[in-house]
Amino acid sequence: MLERRRALVALLAAGAGTCLAAPRGTGGAAASGAAPASSAAPARTVAIEGMAFSPAALTVRRGERITWVNRDLVPHTVTARDGSFDSGGIAAGASWSTVAARAGHLDYACTFHPTMTASLVVR
Amino acid sequence: MTSLRIAAGLLAVALAASAHAQAPNDAQIAAIVVTANQVDIDAGKVAEAHTQSAEVKKFAQQMVTDHTAVNKSATDLAGKLKLTPEDNPTAQSLKKGGEDNVANLKTLKGAAFDKAYIDHEVAYHQAVLDALDKTLIPNARNEELKALMVKVRPAFVAHLDHAKMLQAQLGKSGA
Repeated sequence: MLERRRALVALLAAGAGTCLAAPRGTGGAAASGAAPASSAAPARTVAIEGMAFSPAALTVRRGERITWVNRDLVPHTVTARDGSFDSGGIAAGASWSTVAARAGHLDYACTFHPTMTASLVVR
Repeated sequence: MTSLRIAAGLLAVALAASAHAQAPNDAQIAAIVVTANQVDIDAGKVAEAHTQSAEVKKFAQQMVTDHTAVNKSATDLAGKLKLTPEDNPTAQSLKKGGEDNVANLKTLKGAAFDKAYIDHEVAYHQAVLDALDKTLIPNARNEELKALMVKVRPAFVAHLDHAKMLQAQLGKSGA
Protein backbone atom coordinates (compact mmCIF):
# COMPACT_ATOMS: atom_id res chain seq x y z
CA MET A 1 0.00 0.00 0.00
CA LEU A 2 2.71 2.45 1.02
CA GLU A 3 4.86 1.39 -1.89
CA ARG A 4 1.94 1.92 -4.20
CA ARG A 5 1.22 5.33 -2.75
CA ARG A 6 4.82 6.40 -3.04
CA ALA A 7 4.97 5.15 -6.59
CA LEU A 8 1.79 7.07 -7.35
CA VAL A 9 3.22 10.24 -5.89
CA ALA A 10 6.36 9.77 -7.95
CA LEU A 11 4.29 9.21 -11.04
CA LEU A 12 2.19 12.29 -10.36
CA ALA A 13 5.27 14.33 -9.68
CA ALA A 14 6.93 13.14 -12.85
CA GLY A 15 3.76 13.73 -14.82
CA ALA A 16 3.51 17.26 -13.48
CA GLY A 17 6.98 18.03 -14.78
CA THR A 18 8.95 18.02 -11.55
CA CYS A 19 11.56 15.54 -10.43
CA LEU A 20 11.77 16.65 -6.81
CA ALA A 21 9.61 13.93 -5.34
CA ALA A 22 10.61 11.18 -7.73
CA PRO A 23 13.84 9.96 -6.08
CA ARG A 24 11.96 9.34 -2.83
CA GLY A 25 9.69 6.93 -4.62
CA THR A 26 12.56 4.45 -4.77
CA GLY A 27 12.43 3.97 -1.01
CA GLY A 28 16.03 5.04 -0.48
CA ALA A 29 15.09 8.20 1.39
CA ALA A 30 12.62 6.45 3.65
CA ALA A 31 15.19 3.83 4.55
CA SER A 32 17.33 6.48 6.22
CA GLY A 33 14.87 6.49 9.11
CA ALA A 34 14.78 10.28 9.24
CA ALA A 35 11.08 10.22 8.51
CA PRO A 36 8.43 7.55 8.14
CA ALA A 37 7.49 6.68 4.59
CA SER A 38 4.12 8.40 4.88
CA SER A 39 5.66 11.79 5.60
CA ALA A 40 8.34 11.29 2.95
CA ALA A 41 5.49 11.84 0.52
CA PRO A 42 4.00 14.95 2.10
CA ALA A 43 0.26 15.23 1.85
CA ARG A 44 -1.17 18.66 2.38
CA THR A 45 -4.91 18.87 2.75
CA VAL A 46 -7.35 21.67 2.00
CA ALA A 47 -10.89 21.20 3.26
CA ILE A 48 -13.75 22.39 1.09
CA GLU A 49 -16.38 23.09 3.68
CA GLY A 50 -19.10 25.66 4.22
CA MET A 51 -18.64 26.86 0.62
CA ALA A 52 -15.04 27.87 1.31
CA PHE A 53 -11.51 26.53 0.95
CA SER A 54 -9.78 26.05 4.27
CA PRO A 55 -7.08 27.18 4.63
CA ALA A 56 -7.76 29.89 2.06
CA ALA A 57 -4.03 30.47 1.64
CA LEU A 58 -1.61 27.55 1.71
CA THR A 59 2.14 27.47 1.26
CA VAL A 60 3.69 24.23 0.02
CA ARG A 61 7.00 23.08 -1.31
CA ARG A 62 7.47 22.24 -4.93
CA GLY A 63 6.76 18.57 -5.44
CA GLU A 64 4.36 18.31 -2.53
CA ARG A 65 1.05 16.67 -3.08
CA ILE A 66 -2.03 18.68 -2.17
CA THR A 67 -5.38 17.04 -1.59
CA TRP A 68 -8.72 18.85 -1.53
CA VAL A 69 -11.48 17.10 0.39
CA ASN A 70 -15.05 18.13 -0.36
CA ARG A 71 -16.94 18.04 2.94
CA ASP A 72 -19.91 19.97 1.57
CA LEU A 73 -23.16 18.49 0.33
CA VAL A 74 -22.74 20.01 -3.12
CA PRO A 75 -20.10 19.48 -5.84
CA HIS A 76 -17.18 21.88 -6.23
CA THR A 77 -14.13 22.33 -8.44
CA VAL A 78 -10.53 23.31 -7.75
CA THR A 79 -9.53 25.35 -10.77
CA ALA A 80 -6.34 27.36 -11.21
CA ARG A 81 -6.82 30.83 -12.66
CA ASP A 82 -3.79 30.33 -14.90
CA GLY A 83 -5.18 27.06 -16.24
CA SER A 84 -2.43 24.92 -14.76
CA PHE A 85 -4.92 22.55 -13.12
CA ASP A 86 -8.63 21.88 -13.03
CA SER A 87 -10.18 19.14 -10.96
CA GLY A 88 -13.50 19.13 -12.78
CA GLY A 89 -16.46 18.40 -10.50
CA ILE A 90 -15.56 16.92 -7.10
CA ALA A 91 -18.64 15.23 -5.70
CA ALA A 92 -19.78 15.67 -2.11
CA GLY A 93 -17.55 13.58 0.11
CA ALA A 94 -14.95 12.99 -2.64
CA SER A 95 -11.44 14.36 -2.91
CA TRP A 96 -8.94 15.34 -5.59
CA SER A 97 -5.21 15.86 -5.50
CA THR A 98 -2.40 17.29 -7.53
CA VAL A 99 1.30 17.89 -7.13
CA ALA A 100 2.63 21.43 -6.87
CA ALA A 101 4.72 21.53 -10.01
CA ARG A 102 5.91 25.11 -10.37
CA ALA A 103 7.11 27.61 -7.83
CA GLY A 104 5.11 30.81 -7.51
CA HIS A 105 1.82 32.29 -6.39
CA LEU A 106 -1.30 30.77 -7.82
CA ASP A 107 -4.94 31.78 -7.36
CA TYR A 108 -7.64 29.20 -7.74
CA ALA A 109 -11.41 29.07 -7.46
CA CYS A 110 -14.48 26.88 -7.70
CA THR A 111 -15.93 27.41 -11.16
CA PHE A 112 -19.37 26.45 -9.88
CA HIS A 113 -19.37 29.02 -7.07
CA PRO A 114 -17.50 32.20 -8.01
CA THR A 115 -17.43 33.44 -4.42
CA MET A 116 -15.12 30.55 -3.51
CA THR A 117 -11.55 31.68 -4.07
CA ALA A 118 -8.22 30.75 -2.49
CA SER A 119 -4.51 30.75 -3.21
CA LEU A 120 -1.42 28.59 -3.15
CA VAL A 121 2.17 29.64 -2.74
CA VAL A 122 4.60 27.04 -4.06
CA ARG A 123 8.17 27.49 -2.86
CA MET B 1 -41.86 43.41 -13.25
CA THR B 2 -44.22 44.75 -10.64
CA SER B 3 -45.86 41.36 -10.31
CA LEU B 4 -42.43 39.84 -9.78
CA ARG B 5 -41.56 42.30 -7.04
CA ILE B 6 -44.87 41.47 -5.39
CA ALA B 7 -44.19 37.75 -5.75
CA ALA B 8 -40.74 38.07 -4.21
CA GLY B 9 -42.18 40.25 -1.46
CA LEU B 10 -44.90 37.71 -0.75
CA LEU B 11 -42.29 34.98 -0.50
CA ALA B 12 -40.37 36.98 2.08
CA VAL B 13 -43.57 37.70 3.99
CA ALA B 14 -44.61 34.04 3.87
CA LEU B 15 -41.31 32.93 5.33
CA ALA B 16 -41.10 35.73 7.86
CA ALA B 17 -44.69 35.19 8.97
CA SER B 18 -43.77 31.75 10.23
CA ALA B 19 -41.55 33.44 12.79
CA HIS B 20 -44.61 35.00 14.37
CA ALA B 21 -46.92 32.05 13.92
CA GLN B 22 -46.74 28.92 15.98
CA ALA B 23 -43.22 27.52 15.92
CA PRO B 24 -42.96 24.76 13.32
CA ASN B 25 -42.22 21.22 14.46
CA ASP B 26 -39.50 19.09 12.90
CA ALA B 27 -41.86 17.43 10.41
CA GLN B 28 -43.04 20.86 9.26
CA ILE B 29 -39.48 22.17 9.09
CA ALA B 30 -38.58 19.19 6.89
CA ALA B 31 -41.47 20.06 4.55
CA ILE B 32 -40.38 23.71 4.42
CA VAL B 33 -36.77 22.77 3.62
CA VAL B 34 -37.75 20.33 0.87
CA THR B 35 -40.26 22.76 -0.66
CA ALA B 36 -37.81 25.67 -0.52
CA ASN B 37 -35.24 23.64 -2.44
CA GLN B 38 -37.79 22.28 -4.89
CA VAL B 39 -39.11 25.69 -5.94
CA ASP B 40 -35.60 26.84 -6.75
CA ILE B 41 -34.94 23.66 -8.74
CA ASP B 42 -38.14 24.34 -10.72
CA ALA B 43 -37.20 27.96 -11.39
CA GLY B 44 -33.67 26.87 -12.37
CA LYS B 45 -35.00 24.37 -14.92
CA VAL B 46 -37.16 27.08 -16.52
CA ALA B 47 -34.20 29.45 -16.60
CA GLU B 48 -31.88 26.82 -18.11
CA ALA B 49 -34.33 26.34 -20.94
CA HIS B 50 -35.24 29.99 -21.54
CA THR B 51 -32.24 32.20 -20.89
CA GLN B 52 -29.97 33.33 -23.70
CA SER B 53 -27.21 34.35 -21.33
CA ALA B 54 -24.38 31.86 -20.79
CA GLU B 55 -23.76 33.24 -17.29
CA VAL B 56 -27.40 33.02 -16.25
CA LYS B 57 -27.63 29.51 -17.69
CA LYS B 58 -24.58 28.41 -15.71
CA PHE B 59 -26.05 29.86 -12.54
CA ALA B 60 -29.41 28.18 -13.18
CA GLN B 61 -27.73 24.81 -13.75
CA GLN B 62 -25.84 25.27 -10.50
CA MET B 63 -29.06 26.00 -8.62
CA VAL B 64 -30.55 22.78 -9.97
CA THR B 65 -27.42 20.77 -9.05
CA ASP B 66 -26.94 22.23 -5.58
CA HIS B 67 -30.56 22.31 -4.45
CA THR B 68 -31.05 18.77 -5.76
CA ALA B 69 -28.06 17.67 -3.66
CA VAL B 70 -29.38 19.48 -0.59
CA ASN B 71 -32.81 17.94 -1.04
CA LYS B 72 -31.33 14.48 -1.35
CA SER B 73 -29.55 14.99 1.97
CA ALA B 74 -32.75 16.34 3.53
CA THR B 75 -34.93 13.47 2.32
CA ASP B 76 -32.26 10.91 3.28
CA LEU B 77 -32.15 12.37 6.79
CA ALA B 78 -35.94 12.52 7.05
CA GLY B 79 -36.04 8.83 6.07
CA LYS B 80 -33.40 7.94 8.62
CA LEU B 81 -35.22 9.86 11.35
CA LYS B 82 -38.58 8.44 10.24
CA LEU B 83 -39.72 12.03 9.90
CA THR B 84 -42.58 12.39 7.43
CA PRO B 85 -42.58 15.96 6.07
CA GLU B 86 -45.81 17.60 7.20
CA ASP B 87 -47.47 20.16 4.96
CA ASN B 88 -48.03 23.55 6.57
CA PRO B 89 -48.96 27.13 5.61
CA THR B 90 -45.31 28.21 5.15
CA ALA B 91 -44.54 25.31 2.82
CA GLN B 92 -47.77 26.01 0.93
CA SER B 93 -46.92 29.71 0.52
CA LEU B 94 -43.47 28.76 -0.72
CA LYS B 95 -44.96 26.38 -3.25
CA LYS B 96 -47.48 28.99 -4.42
CA GLY B 97 -44.73 31.64 -4.61
CA GLY B 98 -42.61 29.26 -6.69
CA GLU B 99 -45.49 28.52 -9.07
CA ASP B 100 -46.26 32.23 -9.47
CA ASN B 101 -42.60 32.93 -10.18
CA VAL B 102 -42.41 30.25 -12.86
CA ALA B 103 -45.68 31.45 -14.42
CA ASN B 104 -44.33 35.01 -14.52
CA LEU B 105 -40.98 33.91 -15.97
CA LYS B 106 -42.69 32.05 -18.79
CA THR B 107 -44.25 35.31 -20.00
CA LEU B 108 -40.84 36.98 -20.36
CA LYS B 109 -37.98 36.87 -22.85
CA GLY B 110 -34.38 38.00 -23.26
CA ALA B 111 -33.05 40.60 -20.86
CA ALA B 112 -36.40 40.96 -19.09
CA PHE B 113 -36.42 37.22 -18.39
CA ASP B 114 -32.87 37.24 -17.02
CA LYS B 115 -33.53 40.23 -14.81
CA ALA B 116 -36.76 38.77 -13.43
CA TYR B 117 -35.15 35.39 -12.75
CA ILE B 118 -32.06 36.81 -11.07
CA ASP B 119 -33.99 39.43 -9.07
CA HIS B 120 -36.18 36.66 -7.75
CA GLU B 121 -33.17 34.49 -6.95
CA VAL B 122 -31.71 37.31 -4.85
CA ALA B 123 -34.98 37.81 -2.97
CA TYR B 124 -35.55 34.07 -2.61
CA HIS B 125 -32.14 33.24 -1.18
CA GLN B 126 -32.31 36.19 1.20
CA ALA B 127 -35.76 35.11 2.37
CA VAL B 128 -34.67 31.51 2.91
CA LEU B 129 -31.60 32.65 4.85
CA ASP B 130 -33.79 34.81 7.08
CA ALA B 131 -36.13 31.88 7.64
CA LEU B 132 -33.22 29.54 8.45
CA ASP B 133 -31.81 31.99 10.97
CA LYS B 134 -35.00 33.21 12.61
CA THR B 135 -37.30 30.22 12.44
CA LEU B 136 -36.04 26.94 11.06
CA ILE B 137 -32.69 26.46 12.81
CA PRO B 138 -33.82 27.86 16.20
CA ASN B 139 -36.95 25.67 16.26
CA ALA B 140 -35.47 22.38 15.09
CA ARG B 141 -35.51 19.94 17.96
CA ASN B 142 -33.67 17.06 16.37
CA GLU B 143 -29.93 17.78 16.44
CA GLU B 144 -29.26 16.12 13.08
CA LEU B 145 -31.97 18.17 11.39
CA LYS B 146 -30.54 21.32 12.96
CA ALA B 147 -27.01 20.31 11.92
CA LEU B 148 -28.11 19.71 8.34
CA MET B 149 -29.57 23.21 8.10
CA VAL B 150 -26.44 24.72 9.64
CA LYS B 151 -24.40 22.77 7.09
CA VAL B 152 -26.43 23.93 4.07
CA ARG B 153 -26.69 27.56 5.19
CA PRO B 154 -23.36 28.59 3.56
CA ALA B 155 -24.64 27.31 0.20
CA PHE B 156 -27.54 29.77 0.40
CA VAL B 157 -25.08 32.56 1.24
CA ALA B 158 -22.86 31.64 -1.73
CA HIS B 159 -25.89 31.45 -4.04
CA LEU B 160 -27.13 34.83 -2.79
CA ASP B 161 -23.74 36.42 -3.45
CA HIS B 162 -23.52 34.77 -6.87
CA ALA B 163 -27.03 36.02 -7.75
CA LYS B 164 -26.10 39.53 -6.59
CA MET B 165 -22.99 39.45 -8.81
CA LEU B 166 -25.16 38.56 -11.80
CA GLN B 167 -27.74 41.17 -10.80
CA ALA B 168 -25.02 43.83 -10.88
CA GLN B 169 -23.75 42.59 -14.27
CA LEU B 170 -27.23 42.53 -15.78
CA GLY B 171 -27.86 46.01 -14.38
CA LYS B 172 -24.82 47.30 -16.23
CA SER B 173 -25.43 45.54 -19.53
CA GLY B 174 -29.14 46.38 -19.48
CA ALA B 175 -28.56 50.09 -18.84
